[in-house]
Amino acid sequence: MAAVQDGPMELDAEKETKPEILSDGTSNLSGNTASGTLSSSPLTAAPAGGAPKMENQQTLIAVLQFLKRNKLTDSVEILRREAGLGEDQEDSQATDGSGGGKGDGDGGDAHSLLSRVSITSAAAPQNMPVKRADDQPDVSVVLSAYSQQGDPSLYQVYYSGLKNFIESVLDCHRAELSQLFYPLFVHMYLELVYNNHENEAKAFFEKFSGDQECYYQDDLRILCGLTKREHLKGNEVLLDFRTSRFVLRISRDSYQLLKRHLQERHNNQIWNIIQEHLYIDIFDGMPRSKSQIDSMSGSLAGEAKREVNKAKVFYGLLKEPEIEVPLDDEDDEAENEEGKPKKKKTKKDSLGSKSKKQDPNAPQQNRIPLPELKDSDKLDKIMYMKESTKRIRLGPENLPSICFYTFLNAYQGLTAVDFTDDSSLLAGGFADSTVRVWSVTPKKLRKVKSAADLNNIDKESDDVLERIMDEKTASESKILYGHSGPVYGVSFSPDRNYLLSSSEDGTVRLWSLLTFTCLVGYKGHNYPVWDTQFSPFGYYFVSGGHDRVARLWATDHYQPLRIFAGHLADVTCTRFHPNSNYVATGSTDRTVRLWDVLNGNCVRILTGHKGPVHSLAFSPNGKFLASGSTDGRVLLWDIGHGLMIGELKGHTDTIYALKFSRDGEILASGSMDNTVRLWDSMKAFDEVETDDFTATTGHIHLPDNSQELLLGMYHSKSTPVTHLHFTRRNLLLAAGGYNSQ
Amino acid sequence: MASPKTVPKDAQVMMQILKDMGITEYEPRVINQMLEFTYRYVTTIIEDAKIYSTHAKKSNVDADDVRLAIQCRVDQSFTSPPPRDFLLDIARQKNQTPLPLIKPYTGPRLPPDRYCLTTPNYRLKSLQKKVSSSAGRITVPRLSVGAVSSRPSTPTLGTPSVQTVGTKVGTPVSLSGQRFTVQIPSSQAASVKSVQNVLINPSLIGSKNILITTNMVSQNSSSDSSSLKRKHEDEDDYDAL
Repeated sequence: MAAVQDGPMELDAEKETKPEILSDGTSNLSGNTASGTLSSSPLTAAPAGGAPKMENQQTLIAVLQFLKRNKLTDSVEILRREAGLGEDQEDSQATDGSGGGKGDGDGGDAHSLLSRVSITSAAAPQNMPVKRADDQPDVSVVLSAYSQQGDPSLYQVYYSGLKNFIESVLDCHRAELSQLFYPLFVHMYLELVYNNHENEAKAFFEKFSGDQECYYQDDLRILCGLTKREHLKGNEVLLDFRTSRFVLRISRDSYQLLKRHLQERHNNQIWNIIQEHLYIDIFDGMPRSKSQIDSMSGSLAGEAKREVNKAKVFYGLLKEPEIEVPLDDEDDEAENEEGKPKKKKTKKDSLGSKSKKQDPNAPQQNRIPLPELKDSDKLDKIMYMKESTKRIRLGPENLPSICFYTFLNAYQGLTAVDFTDDSSLLAGGFADSTVRVWSVTPKKLRKVKSAADLNNIDKESDDVLERIMDEKTASESKILYGHSGPVYGVSFSPDRNYLLSSSEDGTVRLWSLLTFTCLVGYKGHNYPVWDTQFSPFGYYFVSGGHDRVARLWATDHYQPLRIFAGHLADVTCTRFHPNSNYVATGSTDRTVRLWDVLNGNCVRILTGHKGPVHSLAFSPNGKFLASGSTDGRVLLWDIGHGLMIGELKGHTDTIYALKFSRDGEILASGSMDNTVRLWDSMKAFDEVETDDFTATTGHIHLPDNSQELLLGMYHSKSTPVTHLHFTRRNLLLAAGGYNSQ
Repeated sequence: MASPKTVPKDAQVMMQILKDMGITEYEPRVINQMLEFTYRYVTTIIEDAKIYSTHAKKSNVDADDVRLAIQCRVDQSFTSPPPRDFLLDIARQKNQTPLPLIKPYTGPRLPPDRYCLTTPNYRLKSLQKKVSSSAGRITVPRLSVGAVSSRPSTPTLGTPSVQTVGTKVGTPVSLSGQRFTVQIPSSQAASVKSVQNVLINPSLIGSKNILITTNMVSQNSSSDSSSLKRKHEDEDDYDAL
């Protein structure tokens, strides 16, 4: 289930969410009711702890007002009689307005209780001219998300009023309450635009847009171009912003302050907007500092609610299958296959887990169906293990060598690069819609012979697999034609037989690397597909595009198996977790989401980036995720807890490439500023201290240690880095297209 | 960048727009592309609006016509991705079905053939080895394709001459809506030669391109053009494409 509140505002949805906020208040009340002498009679009808009762009360009053407005007086009478509502009760609530609680003198308790009940009828006694159609925010708020909340010319007054209030509170609360500015500003502006008050909207924008945080400037620029209602129509991102709820995390004390202030005033427009469009996730504890808030905010939908990140995630790795690794040559192995013990010196798979017990954090082997290993896969695994014994141990004293593959004459058309796992093949996707495959090793690329020639070969010979290959057309590189738009993502399959490419024409194509022809075109996204990746075990692949969803496919199904919907803007980057049970997606709405492949649920929402997220990398042990975006920062996340554990500052431009070394000790990042930087990820992950407090509230204290973690920075002449890859022996390969300007 | 004095006013407007949206670095061609797009878009809308206003029998084009024109064009060319609640709905439906089990050892795991691009969408004619029984007769089917008329070759005894009528129809031509007939001289009916039709799977081709080939009945089987023979398609069945 998507974590962000979604869907049109229906009567039920509205009523459900209101008590959410209500129940926070009432539980506070129950702690303080000792002093609450509820003087006015209507209040006795609604006892302190009765959240459901208040909900009914509200609905009742809303219905009554609706009937009244439509002059159905008889029905009003009947309903009132049956519901047992006194006439004065309802009227007094109506006339109390927001200032009614003053008579109690009981401070916040009864006040807030009254204001809850009267909130729905608050607009009636407005002492300023209000349009007839929209002075009943209870009904209209409930029925439509676009109702106008008051006189447009007074929006500026409301906003400045709030601004003055927030500037006058204590420092510790000010940072938290300042979070309100941006969503309120945007919602008020969009409401003015939607209701066709163009001039007021422009004036409002001019006056207050400069006050917003610097990291929202891109959004504001887009907003200032929207002045008419028609402009909103095609803009799905903004429409989603309007209907989904912006999440804010505020401590209880700050929230009480805010509520008290807003209900003291006569105008409740801001309170209405808050209730309608914002979701305030209240937590108990110390208010957060400005830097803490800044590190987590920036996304299009605010932060993530706490309960969203509570689902259990199986981040452990799947057990490696046990394969006998012969230490002798393969010739000897053939002799020993009979199991003769005398010369057999086989060694069990030492990279597999020694313990027979299941890692509690790892998913079951059969949680999702995975293809079983073929013989060729087993041989591949043996090669893998042999090479990993020769792997260089990296560390702060032992930095990897970097080999940079520069694409010349690409005319800035290189849009995607991928290496095979054993670094033998390199594929590039280009803006001219071709995909080119190169052989990195001296061995040339060969394709399978044509059918006529295949008839002539000796099928019984030992090297039949070599004989089926056509020597005559062997070449260093092959070009694959088929797409009708720039190719934005390429991915090799782990068994090196297939290549995937995703393009602006909305299709994902599967190419065979044995025949170098296109096998399948997967159509589903009807809009540019920005990224695609094969699963670490093959068979499944994921793609994400402009239509704001990521899709999980299997090579033998022409339709996707899973659709991961929930992002508010394009999905720019999709990566599988090493155990293939989860998919991480980065998006233009500045969040990173983690999805469960089994049931398509979003299990983590990670906010904190201030720009579209363009690169993701899982650590080899599966516990951590690194993400890079256009703001030049790399953020490190603990998947298990869903917390940000590190921030690596240094790059000055978009980071398009992120890769962990084979054992996870070093994180390499490559960006458009023509540099590759190496970071000490071991140290960054060691310094994580998550105590219970941080785990429950999700607060982090990020040490500003980017400088210490930076192990090296390497410039290329003028080639932005598009892709990074660690070979099996921990040599770093980088790729990019030469940019002569 | 050219100095503002020499840049036309429209281009200055474009430069100002880019500046307002915060774009500072762009290739100079971008201005031209924007101007071209604007011109094309505005003229399309205004032309559409004129059509709507004449349809409504109004003497002038007014704002309603323009609004209608914009709305129609938006649905055509500037489509936007589906709305979020729709996506969430179909995602919920799709995600309910469990992941299908994987069959073991089935070779390359690909979708059914009709969803793949692995089958050819053409078939080559095999070499014509058989000779017509009527000695020396060369018969050429008459072909009339719309405006293109074929030149029938005159059958001459004894001298094999090969003509490819189809050369006028060089590349596969889109034949939607065109009828054409193939007249096969009755004398040829006696010959054993049969026209092999090209099997075309329309779904694979997509568009209505049909390969036109001419079948040359040639006495001389050693004619070099045998491998280049192309066939006529009997189009009587296809006119509704």
